Amino acid sequence: MDMYREDVMDHYEHPRNQGSFGDAQDKDVLTARDSNASCGDMVKFYIRIAKGKIIEVKWEGIGCAITTAAASKLSEYLQGQSLKVVQKMSEEELVRKGVGFEVNPGRSKCLMLPVIVVGKILKN
Amino acid sequence: MKREINGHPLLNLDSGATSQKPSQVLEAERNYYEQHNANVHRGAHTLGDEATLLLAESRQATAKFIGASDQEIIFVRNTTEAINLVAYSWGLDNLKEGNVIVTTLMEHHANLVPWQEVGRRTGAKVEVVGLTPDGQVDMDDYRNKLKLHPKLVSFVQVSNALGTINPVAEMTKLAHKVGAVVLVDGAQAVPHMRVDIGEIGCDFYAFSGHKMLGPMGIGVLWGKRALLEKMSPFLTGGGMINEVYTDHSTWAELPEKFEAGTPNVAGAVGLMSAIKYLEKLGLPAQAGMDNVREHDKQLVAYSIQQLQKIKEIRILGPKDSSQRSGSVSFEYQGVHAHDIAAILDSQGVAVRSGHHCTMPLHNSLGVVASIRASFNVYTTKGDIDALVEALKKVKEVFKK
Repeated sequence: MDMYREDVMDHYEHPRNQGSFGDAQDKDVLTARDSNASCGDMVKFYIRIAKGKIIEVKWEGIGCAITTAAASKLSEYLQGQSLKVVQKMSEEELVRKGVGFEVNPGRSKCLMLPVIVVGKILKN
Repeated sequence: MKREINGHPLLNLDSGATSQKPSQVLEAERNYYEQHNANVHRGAHTLGDEATLLLAESRQATAKFIGASDQEIIFVRNTTEAINLVAYSWGLDNLKEGNVIVTTLMEHHANLVPWQEVGRRTGAKVEVVGLTPDGQVDMDDYRNKLKLHPKLVSFVQVSNALGTINPVAEMTKLAHKVGAVVLVDGAQAVPHMRVDIGEIGCDFYAFSGHKMLGPMGIGVLWGKRALLEKMSPFLTGGGMINEVYTDHSTWAELPEKFEAGTPNVAGAVGLMSAIKYLEKLGLPAQAGMDNVREHDKQLVAYSIQQLQKIKEIRILGPKDSSQRSGSVSFEYQGVHAHDIAAILDSQGVAVRSGHHCTMPLHNSLGVVASIRASFNVYTTKGDIDALVEALKKVKEVFKK
């Protein structure tokens, strides 16, 4: 049960940066959402940019412990990063540096959902 | 199947997704390939004749198993293909703008998406019958939807997600009163109970081999001869033709008209072996499928009884075990189904987690994903005890 290690469970039980910036049209806020077809889980990310830097990250959604902890950890990592730097990162790098934990292949969709959503934002 | 998963003996409670196979079935397939393998309906040689005879023999055994005539048995890959055959073949020829197709909220995606697709192409509208709070078809809503005079009504006999057994004979009778053609999805019924299509009275019946101890890749569509004869072929090419000219062709008789290309003879042979196995299972031997049903009933009742002892668990579907078959689905309050499944897997227990190909149903229940423990003839009460024991670990990991 390595994937349910202490820090992962902590992020699941106390998710960081959970919430939204509302529906207000704010051109400094980039958003994207995606869902996991095999279980109906959904994640939406909000990233506020100022002077080429990510200054605020929020996310909302429904998901299992893995999806929730991955989104929470990723949101913490992105805060304060240079937009250019993270835009250059591959999904693999985002997982390694931003999420920082691994799961078995059966659960990789859970782990990847927040990464894919963030990837969508960064690509635009 | 004897395997260790994460150091624990494998305990398979995911038979609703696919059953394990008796060695007789594996042996039958192997024997076919080693002794009789040839393509059917061609080649005046011994092996070709044997393969053709085996395919015919399997068709007869399958027909007898559900009380049908063998010319009305179409071999397909699975239930999904059987339903698609009717949707495209019957649906495209018989549905038009403004027509209504009725189905229910508990359908597997295989009995919803093909109708949406045919609806999109023909302009027919799909109406979905709601459920009662304990997961049965809301018969008042069903009667109301029938007032729309649907051309086709399609419903499941046993729900894969709720385990509910539907009153299919009564539902068929009501649909026939308004002139609808009726298709019954029997994927989760045929493995667990005696099915007689004459008693149901429907026009089409679909099921898969792999859920009833047979191999993957072989399934069955049964249809009333009068309907099948009027229908256009679904797939065209070799095997399904009578005469071919450069500008037109004529079709073979039933059932070949619907079996284009080389058929899955080994699969059909395996299916026949599974049918023979089921027909003789338990005591008295001639009551095979009744013994299977009795075993299933006891497992469902026992698992509901045991799972209800865990206060975080909410069981989905009817609580009365005589109204359900094959599986028990539940949610565990405060913990996502995938996390439960992972914790169970770490102890060697395999269950299904997710929406079980019934997204609209899960949306209506307000459940993102559920856990399903599903059974077959080899499942024991000891397996249920092990599941309940393994669920205790959830509290350790999630402190809930």
